[in-house]
Amino acid sequence: MGSSVSHAAAPPPPPTAVGLAVALPPKQDEKAEPKNVDWLNLPCPVPFEEIQREALMSLKPELFEGLKFDFTKGLNQRFSLSHSIFMGSMEVPSQSSDTFKVPTAHYEFGANFLDPKLMLVGRVLTDGRLNARVKCDLTDNLTLKINAQLTNEPHFSQGMFNFDYKGTDYRTQFQIGNNAFYGANYIQSISPHLSLGTEIFWLGHQRKSGIGFAARYNTDKIVVTGQVASTGIVALSYVQKVSEKVSLASDFMYNHLTQDATSSFGYDYILRQCRLRGKLDSNGVVAAFLEERLNMGVNFILSAEVDHRKKDYKFGFGLTVGE
Amino acid sequence: MASNVSLKGKEKAGKGSKSSEERSAKCVKEWSTWAMKKAKVITHYGFIPLIVIIGMNSEPKPQLYQLLSPV
Repeated sequence: MGSSVSHAAAPPPPPTAVGLAVALPPKQDEKAEPKNVDWLNLPCPVPFEEIQREALMSLKPELFEGLKFDFTKGLNQRFSLSHSIFMGSMEVPSQSSDTFKVPTAHYEFGANFLDPKLMLVGRVLTDGRLNARVKCDLTDNLTLKINAQLTNEPHFSQGMFNFDYKGTDYRTQFQIGNNAFYGANYIQSISPHLSLGTEIFWLGHQRKSGIGFAARYNTDKIVVTGQVASTGIVALSYVQKVSEKVSLASDFMYNHLTQDATSSFGYDYILRQCRLRGKLDSNGVVAAFLEERLNMGVNFILSAEVDHRKKDYKFGFGLTVGE
Repeated sequence: MASNVSLKGKEKAGKGSKSSEERSAKCVKEWSTWAMKKAKVITHYGFIPLIVIIGMNSEPKPQLYQLLSPV
């Protein structure tokens, strides 16, 4: 408007008006952000259950006690069989503060079929327990996941069906489980770095329901997440990628019902021949997990968890052969 | 006597129509429980063989001895 008046009057328009007149028409749909953020094309957020995945990968390695031997044999690019032997103690969860360890030994046979559209993973143990996972891409955006643990004892089996839908900048998931468990969650990208999510679940048999909220802020170097649930749990985590090989993570969890707070701090070194993860806890637990690549396809594993408060010392070693 | 019999027959028919929905709901529940139990047993025994069969028929087809040999 100002520029047309100035054109008619013949004097040269002020440089700011020209700049605005040229810049305004193409940017009518987007806000004029200094960093040129494209608010209509935000990236797709991570799935809701993986919102804390960097922190979990660094702070919760699969610690074990005893001997573990895994052999994976690939018959095909997509099909492989796995044989696994474990001899050691497994912890049985108990109400008292004493840890209750049961010495176990089992052989586990597994078969994996991994296709881009269909993934089938099955593991069966010597006592008859079956662990089955199915992931099927029904369409480009809709995925069906099934997770089941079947046992020979009646009423101990569990199964869960998940339907995931991935939109352009959101993801939503609907879960159906046994014991009449229904859950749903939704996560949306608010900005290129921030995503917010919410979840709700309902347990049919116990008539319990809950709602939770989560937020995740990540850049190239840091990931900060926070989760609050109506079950009285608050969980925060912070991961900093110090360099290509080193990342540090810290985690805080507070349970309002049991007035219990735990915080832990850990590191994750990903080096050429090995991966070393260590963690220190406010419960007096110090843990470390080392995976060393001895040769192509042969990995040596050492696991240690020292609980000073409960005087529980767990050391494990193992070998993983195969990809 | 005929009227008693017809009355009894009408009562029975009345009770039957009232509880037919409950009966059909019970039937559906029983059959779905039976179906879930059978599905659980079938999955328990057949899931791993199903993966093996799908894998052995995928391209490139692996040989049968490769299933058992550790090489």
